[in-house]
Amino acid sequence: MYGWHGRLLRVDLTERTASIETIDPKICRDFIGGRGVAMYYLAKEVDPLVDPLSPENKLIFATGPLTATPAPTGNRYMVVTKSPLTGAITHSNSGGDFPTWMKRTGFDLFLFEGKADSPVYLWVNEDQVEIRPADHVWGKDVPTTTDALLAETHPEARVACIGPAGENLVLMAAIMNDKHRAAARSGVGAVMGSKLLKAVVAFGNKNPPMADEAGMRNLSVTISKEVGVDVKKGSNLREYGTAYVPQVTNTLGILPTRNFLQGTFEATSQIDGVALKNTYLIRHTPCYRCPISCGRLTEVPEGKYKGKGEGPEYETIASLGSACGVSDLAAITRANYWCNELGLDTISTGMTIAAAMEMYEKGYLTEEQIGQPLRFGDADAMIAMIQKMAYRQGFGNELAEGSYRLCRKYGHPEIAVTARKQEFPGYDPRGSQGMGLLYATSNKGASHMEGDVAYEEVFGVPVKIDPLTTEGKAALVARFQDAFALIDSSGLCVFLAVRYVFNKDVMIWPIRLTQLMNHTTGANYTPEEIMKAAERIYNLERVFILKAGSTEDTLPPRMLQEPLPDGPAKGKVVELDKMLPEFYRIRGWDEHGVPTREKLAELELLEF
Amino acid sequence: MKVYVKLIATYQRLLPPDASGNAIEVDVPEGTTVAQVLLPYGVPLDDSSVIVLNGRMTDLNTPLSEGDTVAAFSAIAGG
Ligand code: SF4
Repeated sequence: MYGWHGRLLRVDLTERTASIETIDPKICRDFIGGRGVAMYYLAKEVDPLVDPLSPENKLIFATGPLTATPAPTGNRYMVVTKSPLTGAITHSNSGGDFPTWMKRTGFDLFLFEGKADSPVYLWVNEDQVEIRPADHVWGKDVPTTTDALLAETHPEARVACIGPAGENLVLMAAIMNDKHRAAARSGVGAVMGSKLLKAVVAFGNKNPPMADEAGMRNLSVTISKEVGVDVKKGSNLREYGTAYVPQVTNTLGILPTRNFLQGTFEATSQIDGVALKNTYLIRHTPCYRCPISCGRLTEVPEGKYKGKGEGPEYETIASLGSACGVSDLAAITRANYWCNELGLDTISTGMTIAAAMEMYEKGYLTEEQIGQPLRFGDADAMIAMIQKMAYRQGFGNELAEGSYRLCRKYGHPEIAVTARKQEFPGYDPRGSQGMGLLYATSNKGASHMEGDVAYEEVFGVPVKIDPLTTEGKAALVARFQDAFALIDSSGLCVFLAVRYVFNKDVMIWPIRLTQLMNHTTGANYTPEEIMKAAERIYNLERVFILKAGSTEDTLPPRMLQEPLPDGPAKGKVVELDKMLPEFYRIRGWDEHGVPTREKLAELELLEF
Repeated sequence: MKVYVKLIATYQRLLPPDASGNAIEVDVPEGTTVAQVLLPYGVPLDDSSVIVLNGRMTDLNTPLSEGDTVAAFSAIAGG
């Protein structure tokens, strides 16, 4: 096989055995790789009704055909599992080095099942596979664990691990790789913790052959050059990382502020990428083979927030900054380091604390219940809550369940800003209607990474469209969801892939991406075929979540009934009912959002 | 009349060196359009920029009113 190894490493943690399996080439072709092939295995092997934190759930690490190839940004992997936060499917993406190292072990996928009876880690050095005890690093944070495991395996290996948050089954625990990169969302780290799997260490030199190596190299060079030209012209991502975005969303009035009570934040200039560059930025850091290099190595050199690490990214600034009313960039940066070290998703962590802050301000939670005051803007209280969450100490035990469960428990479900029980990322959909439809319908719950129509509504890529209208948004969201399923399955980073998937004239026409895939795999996809495969993946996930009982495509009352009080989107709510029926129709789903038999037949999914 | 020009992220450097932050106040004659107010700064007036008037989509030929804010940033994707 080209492009794919066609090999899966199955790790039975209960039995402490590992076995090598062949992946059917037809499955690779039909489900592309990464997110798609992993979803195929999950749907085949996991009962959708399973308790996500039980041994019966499975956890899959999956690289794509473009991972570890010369394709710029071909450095991603996906973590696919049933989410304990949402009860639906999740697929969480990360870059850095680890995914490339994982692919070089000679496997496309690592599939974990069962549960160890004491902490373990997996060490894969090509075909030398060991399930080793991890008692000595259990309880340790991410940097300590990473360093310890490198010292006892191979200094040039790479590590993905959980921190205390994953061990303690915190529902927004992340899986961290290369210390600072996160497969962050939906509690994938808690699933790993539930299996007593502390870490995965990978090393190897095995790459699958490419169908057309020369073609691949030439195209990769061309792409790198094109990106290089743009970077020279002045690249927001290179210069400021995603941290430039708060100025954009604030200008449009969609920057989540004080738990979405507002859409503009008065202190945006104090917490954005320009401020970061002028203060704590040391240098930009790339994932493996990335010409864009949007990562930020930063240091707060002194004071009570002293520390060094990576970030903050836009999403972190929105969740731990404006959403919590925090305007101190040093505090946000240190809070970001804490999340990375403890293994927490910064989005759900910040947004959950923001919901608790609103509950406290309104008197729905008391100082006695929380153990301290928790006002909007109180950075020290926010950091204290982060630490308590990771260890489920005191009130942290409530926060560790996420805002949906927290607000319900204390009698005010209307405060939680979630879809499929997952916290919103940093775009208030009242001023970005397509994002509203996206959050409501996404298989993994509120997420920008399942079809980020903010590219058009906010960033003007490839064309700027009006974020405040609903016309055409149903088609846009459906196409973006499929396109992101393709990108996530390919192994490319979204930040690069968007320029080769979306096209001004024909909205989605992934010619370049298809070429990259064909040079790598020799599968001779046409763009139509590859988009069909992406649609197949999306629909398979949909079938799974409906069977899991996650059937409601809706948004919280704040989004549907409470107009934004400020900014350019003032007076707006999400007009979901104007978009949803059309979206179902375009998708080939019935009026309840269930894929029709015809649609499943067309996508060859009737067996699921 | 007074209006505001706000240039975000990489575009901030197009502002005059004495500008503090990413926005400046400018005095323009009545009838000045979105495109005209941006002209002196060299903001690309094509699809490579996102240009909004008071945070909303706008036609470049829209005439400005007192107190308006025109904001612009680079739309280059993925780099
Ligand atoms: S664009 Fe950023 S996130 Fe994507 S591969 Fe490059 S450095 Fe990593």
